[in-house]
Amino acid sequence: MNNFLFGRYLPGNSWIHQMSPQSKLTLSFYFVVVIFFANNLASYGALAALIIVVVLLSGVSITFFLKGIRPLIWLIIFTVSLQILFSAGGHVFWQWGPFSISDLSLINGGYIFIRFLLIIMISTVLTLTTTPLAIADGVQTVLKPLKKIHFPVDTLALMLSIALRFVPTLMDEMGTILNAQRSRGVDFGSGSLKHRVQAAVPLLVPLFTGAINHAENLSTAMEARGFSDSEHRSKYRVYRWQGKDTISWLAFLAVGGLVLWIRKH
Amino acid sequence: MDQAISFDHVTHTYQAKTPYAQDALNDVSVTIAENSFTAIIGHTGSGKSTLVQHINALLKPTQGTIKVHDKLITPTTTNKNLKEFRRHVGMVFQFPEKQLFEETVIKDIMFGPKNYGVSEADAKHAAVDAMNLVGLDQSLAEKSPFDLSGGQMRRVAIAGVLAMRPEILILDEPTAGLDPQGHKEMMTLAQRLHDHDQMTIILVTHQMDDVVNYASQVIVMDRGKIVKTGSPAQIFADPEWVYERQLNLPSSTEFAQRLIDAGIPMGKLPLTVNQLADRIAELVAKGDSMNE
Repeated sequence: MNNFLFGRYLPGNSWIHQMSPQSKLTLSFYFVVVIFFANNLASYGALAALIIVVVLLSGVSITFFLKGIRPLIWLIIFTVSLQILFSAGGHVFWQWGPFSISDLSLINGGYIFIRFLLIIMISTVLTLTTTPLAIADGVQTVLKPLKKIHFPVDTLALMLSIALRFVPTLMDEMGTILNAQRSRGVDFGSGSLKHRVQAAVPLLVPLFTGAINHAENLSTAMEARGFSDSEHRSKYRVYRWQGKDTISWLAFLAVGGLVLWIRKH
Repeated sequence: MDQAISFDHVTHTYQAKTPYAQDALNDVSVTIAENSFTAIIGHTGSGKSTLVQHINALLKPTQGTIKVHDKLITPTTTNKNLKEFRRHVGMVFQFPEKQLFEETVIKDIMFGPKNYGVSEADAKHAAVDAMNLVGLDQSLAEKSPFDLSGGQMRRVAIAGVLAMRPEILILDEPTAGLDPQGHKEMMTLAQRLHDHDQMTIILVTHQMDDVVNYASQVIVMDRGKIVKTGSPAQIFADPEWVYERQLNLPSSTEFAQRLIDAGIPMGKLPLTVNQLADRIAELVAKGDSMNE
């Protein structure tokens, strides 16, 4: 757990840290869409160059970055090898039963690998440079148009920000309960499957009752502070669209256009 | 007296080798005697809780070694075979009522002993004993722990630890959030376990009055280091030093300090209410004899 970087925030003051969360969110989404348009080495090269610039701008050291995505490498290798072994067509180099390796499957596998890497990189940049609360605010801003179809955007944003706020609290509590039960002689993570499932009960029951207590206390405290519904609220944290956001969007649009142009050739 | 616990140049870093790395203990060496009553004090975040979690190997040192009775804990100690060892070290965490989960009080208290392979009948026996020890009425045995009051829940949790009959008992702020009556009962229990059952007690606390009333040895921590060890009298002899560590004096000592500031000669600083009362009585008697 300690080396797991995905979904964590690293404080900083870089160009990317200062961008508004809504533009970071939409940019990441846009980038993922663009990745699927790329279909040759040159277009992937352009996207890789862009992501390297983004990582450099984020001020996070690249070695740290690579270390952080290492836990996901097995998933990538698994998917890529399936792709290589099972795709048909092209010049076949090697075959054994249903498995085959051809030049086409190798190229496809390589593309999938790069796609995975790019998607993980951009989303890690997003989570490393944006606090969870800022992400919740960003989601709220991005989803605002859905209000027109009576989608409860504010309620969703409230739930999201409360959920994100309580992730570390519940993690802490889980750690404490885990330790408390350990010192009462529970062996977590060893023994048969049945034993392991049984060992989870002394962890889960207190965790759930704790969460219910938190919810009760929090709702009482919110009511006491004048919260009635999530409509008609003003906002304390306001993220304005800045020059940095415009410049970043222009750069991403340029690379997107480049990818589409390369794709034709 | 024998050493129950000894720390030898122990360093602990949370999330070592990441940008989140945080030093919690820095080259800590200390020994705690068998059957002693030791208080660990220090401001919030000074590493007290990290220190005590090393004693039953919930945390392992990043560097250095710890010896608890005959068990040696090193950075490479694995989680295997620790179960038997943990039986001898009872640990009461902050707000231990959070760890209750069974359907009935008695089942929850029996949970610890049963994990260590004690038979159903013996575990029940131990649970009934533990309930008596913490002052829980036997009529509560078949109730759900979630129906009890906060103070009763805490007693159930502590009974659950005591039912394992540990030799070393670690209490991490056991009185936090209790009313004065509950506070007194909790500390009396700790003292009784120490005096009567010969347990080695380690108490983490912010209550300096408890330190002087119950502890025989005090460990003062500051920013992950042990800055002083000694008897309560040695620790609180220098009020300036205590304030610099963001700690308080016991209330009697503080009162005496105010009297000194007002020009009344108190001599050696008193620690407890009794010592303070004796000192004042002495002064009054002296004053009477001078007036005559």
